Amino acid sequence: NTLTVCFSVGYSVVALNHVIDFKEKKQEIIKPVSPSELFPSLPIVQGTSKRIKVMTRLTLVVSDPSHCNLLRSTSANIRLYDIIAVFPKTEKLFHIACTTLDVDLVCINVTEKLPFYFRRPPVNMAIDRGIYFELLYTPAIKDSTMRRYTISNAISLMQICKGKNIVISSAAERPLELRGPYDVANLGLLFGLSESEAKAAVSTNCRATMLHGETRKSACGVVYTVKKPRKVEEEETAVPACKKAKTQA
Amino acid sequence: RGPAGRRMAAAAFERRVLRRAAEHHYLRVRLELPDGGARPNATQFKQLMVTALRELHGEVGAALPVDVLTYEEKTLSAILRVISSGLVKLWSALTLLGFYQNRRCAFRVLQTSPFLLALAGNSRELVL
Repeated sequence: NTLTVCFSVGYSVVALNHVIDFKEKKQEIIKPVSPSELFPSLPIVQGTSKRIKVMTRLTLVVSDPSHCNLLRSTSANIRLYDIIAVFPKTEKLFHIACTTLDVDLVCINVTEKLPFYFRRPPVNMAIDRGIYFELLYTPAIKDSTMRRYTISNAISLMQICKGKNIVISSAAERPLELRGPYDVANLGLLFGLSESEAKAAVSTNCRATMLHGETRKSACGVVYTVKKPRKVEEEETAVPACKKAKTQA
Repeated sequence: RGPAGRRMAAAAFERRVLRRAAEHHYLRVRLELPDGGARPNATQFKQLMVTALRELHGEVGAALPVDVLTYEEKTLSAILRVISSGLVKLWSALTLLGFYQNRRCAFRVLQTSPFLLALAGNSRELVL
């Protein structure tokens, strides 16, 4: 039902999230629900003639360094997810997630006051590796206290990362908690982003995260070819997996 | 994002781009309420907007000059006019509004433009 609203509001790619919290008793990573099981036929994106893409995503809530071992193990089920996100609860884990973990997104807590301050070195390393920071906006719709935490955490993140590598997403469970893409881009302005950065947070950065996820699945990199109307064909390469800190253009 | 004026002189032309020349921005919005209770009339709709602004931007936000140009109670859609400098405040306040009389609701901003005439056509409603 929520997804049907997504389609009518103007999104072209949707990711279904599965959250794993390690504080509870032993959790198994289950296989993601295949989108084709949920929807026999996907509706068409508003204004174009292509169909909506549905991807699967895994969020790991880590509060202990031993939880990260799961990412390093070759569990077959992890590879089935398109995007992997990690939600660090302590400063040390934030540092580990930004510098060494093999993930696509680092979630920033918006529902409570941050227990740690952001520091520049791990954030800059994450930006170099192509990892994006994710902010949620649905808690801001539900409660006014959460609204304050969302905005204050977002502003402190902006001061450190200067608006780069931000993705704004919803954690909507009901169709009424969803907002259109331009509305969300406007929220980015509230967080202190510039107009182009805010629009990128909903569009370009999300696509980069998807490509990063695909890169992670492959061995070394992803190559997308784009045909230009002229006779010469040019290639667009995406950043290869985070084995190297810097890449050559 | 403003009207560009061009003036043909004898040999060359001069192009003037006016940024932020429009005084007001117009928004077409629709309130989504799950079926059930009473629908707000025009006064209550305006009150709802002022409440949304006050919740997010405080008294200064609530004092923002916003006009409801048209309101249809049947479809709960309206055309609003706001001073250009207040567009971000109003839009973010409408986006983050979650409840109307303890019922969940959502504001969908359908179109926005510095020109009222532009709200007449919506390319997203085209069926391709």
